[in-house]
Amino acid sequence: MTGARKLQGDKLPEAEAIERAKQGDAEAFEALYHLHKRRVYSLCLRMTANTASAEEFTQEAFLQLFRKIGTFRGESAFSTWLHRMAVNVVLMQLRKKGLPVVPLEETMETDEETHKKEPGADDVRLAGSIDRLQLEHAIADLPPGYRTVFLLHDVEGYEHNEIAKIVGCSIGNSKSQLHKARMRLRGLLKSSRAVKATKP
Amino acid sequence: MYRRNRIAGLIIAMLLLASVVAAAENRKEFRFRVHRHASISVINQFGPISVKPSSGHEVLITAILHSDKAEIDSSHSGSRVSVSTHLLAGADPDSGLVEYEVSVPADASVSLRSATGPIRAEKLHGDVILEGNTANMDVRDLSDGHVHIKTLDGPVTLTNVSDGHVEITSVGGEVNLISVTGPLVHVNSNSGRIVYVGDFGGGGEYSLMTHTGDIEATAPAYASMDVLASSSQGKVINDFPLQPVHTSLVERAGSAFAGTMGKAASSVKLLSFSGKIHLKKR
Amino acid sequence: MTCKEFQRVLPELEGGHNLEQEQHLKTCSACADLFSDLNAIEQNARRLEDHEPSPRVWTNIEAALRQEGLIRQPQPQLVPTRLPAPRWRFAWLVPIAAGLVFGAGLLVMHWQVSTQIAHQTRTTTPPVENAGITQPSSVPASEDQVIKLVATRAPSMRASYESNFRAVEAYIHDAELAARNNPNDEISQQHLTNAYEQRAMVYEMAMHRALP
Repeated sequence: MTGARKLQGDKLPEAEAIERAKQGDAEAFEALYHLHKRRVYSLCLRMTANTASAEEFTQEAFLQLFRKIGTFRGESAFSTWLHRMAVNVVLMQLRKKGLPVVPLEETMETDEETHKKEPGADDVRLAGSIDRLQLEHAIADLPPGYRTVFLLHDVEGYEHNEIAKIVGCSIGNSKSQLHKARMRLRGLLKSSRAVKATKP
Repeated sequence: MYRRNRIAGLIIAMLLLASVVAAAENRKEFRFRVHRHASISVINQFGPISVKPSSGHEVLITAILHSDKAEIDSSHSGSRVSVSTHLLAGADPDSGLVEYEVSVPADASVSLRSATGPIRAEKLHGDVILEGNTANMDVRDLSDGHVHIKTLDGPVTLTNVSDGHVEITSVGGEVNLISVTGPLVHVNSNSGRIVYVGDFGGGGEYSLMTHTGDIEATAPAYASMDVLASSSQGKVINDFPLQPVHTSLVERAGSAFAGTMGKAASSVKLLSFSGKIHLKKR
Repeated sequence: MTCKEFQRVLPELEGGHNLEQEQHLKTCSACADLFSDLNAIEQNARRLEDHEPSPRVWTNIEAALRQEGLIRQPQPQLVPTRLPAPRWRFAWLVPIAAGLVFGAGLLVMHWQVSTQIAHQTRTTTPPVENAGITQPSSVPASEDQVIKLVATRAPSMRASYESNFRAVEAYIHDAELAARNNPNDEISQQHLTNAYEQRAMVYEMAMHRALP
């Protein structure tokens, strides 16, 4: 690579990087990686709540992407294609490694149990005062089934019909699990705030 | 009287023979307690491995050794179980033969490797990973889990497998897929023939590719698919009245076709370098 | 509408709520707080910041890409003013370059395999059909070397591996030729990827696994 052609990895336009990557261009691969690494890694980190696993899954997601990049036809956004692949990789790798990706049915609680745990009318509203770090911690504390649906819907922006297909459940189940995840997070955030308030 | 004595003699001879055979075999049994979504690995150079579901949270492995040239190594950590055949000096495919029968919880993931096989897995919901050289692989009645198979020359048959990713790589082994559906079904074969009988359902991505092996796919008239078939040097036959689609693929008579059926829910690619491709209508 | 009824339909309120539900929210502070909190969680979740992975992630990815031959040498740029506009591209050099990179990687590891074979041929015990010892994961210098290793570890498998290597190399040859003639053809690229995948599988099964 001559100096005239050398580009900063993260300044190469995506479309050009894709075409070059199909030809095996190392800089193109790196450019695509840097363009999308944060989103993919963040997804892996939140789904596993473990840095080492997240790094491993991020590697595997990108490797699978790069192996198949020759088949990308440009019919959908590259980021959509990559992201969907990353989700599938994480779920598959979690199953392979025996890490808990509990089927959603198992995390089902009755409505009464869910609402019974939540604070009543005398609690302060969360709105406008959610600490992002506390939210991250609370997400990590969610049961795996709740966490998966919550991340895919509220963080990553998938619709319920897409989540149902990815995870292998019904749309109704996806909505139910999302609601329960949010309810659980509400409880965790309020508890966290209560603990913080008692500290000097 | 003579006849009765003769029958008695035969029975005694059979019993003696059975006892000799039993003495020559060495049967070992392993039981492991596991949690949900356990991970079980069995590596056996020569001999069959058969996996079935069990009730409860126990893994039961029965190994029959045919000589003292083989030992069984096992390890158990949490919900991970690993069993492998350890061959001693002087072992060969006959003396090193070990037969495994394995029962696992239905949601367990299993990884089975045997050079000669056969390998069989049925009625499981976890991921299934099979690897063999010439092993005949038979997988049936699986759902929800992913299936990954690698074979050099052993034939592979999947029957009634659904709702997971299916990825098969074969050099010379024939691959038969009967009622196999899922979000991803990908077969990469060299000279091994690929036979698919099913409806390409589930809105999945189906990719059947060979170098020289033929591809024969049989689907019902109601199949909903977006088909692309191409053989660079082989013949291509289509029995379906496909709706044409805009594609950059040059449709040369006899070597490529593309089109849709129904709502084109599934993507179906039948690609070969020099094998014959036939999309049949059931 | 009671609180219980409202909370029962909460999971379905993504797209908005009807008049009855809206009325309940106006009159019930508990449900209003709950609804507001859940919305706040959703809004804040969308705004969560992304995390930066460690630099070693890319290092590992790049190493794997090189090992698999997916990273190939760049092509020389044509000078259109001096030559007539080319009707074909140099992209067909890409798979050949991939083969060169792969071969270079094998050559770098050549001495390890030679040492390994020399050690094994000096043994006097009869060949074991794989004593269950996993060989160190060194990359062989060539397929001949791999076949020799297989022959010492599992003589009965030698012919099979020879045949398999021949088959995958034929596939690679045909796929590279097709990719060279049709550099923009995705099907040719897919065949090439598949061929490399098959070769990697045969190598892996011969070298890295406990199987013979």
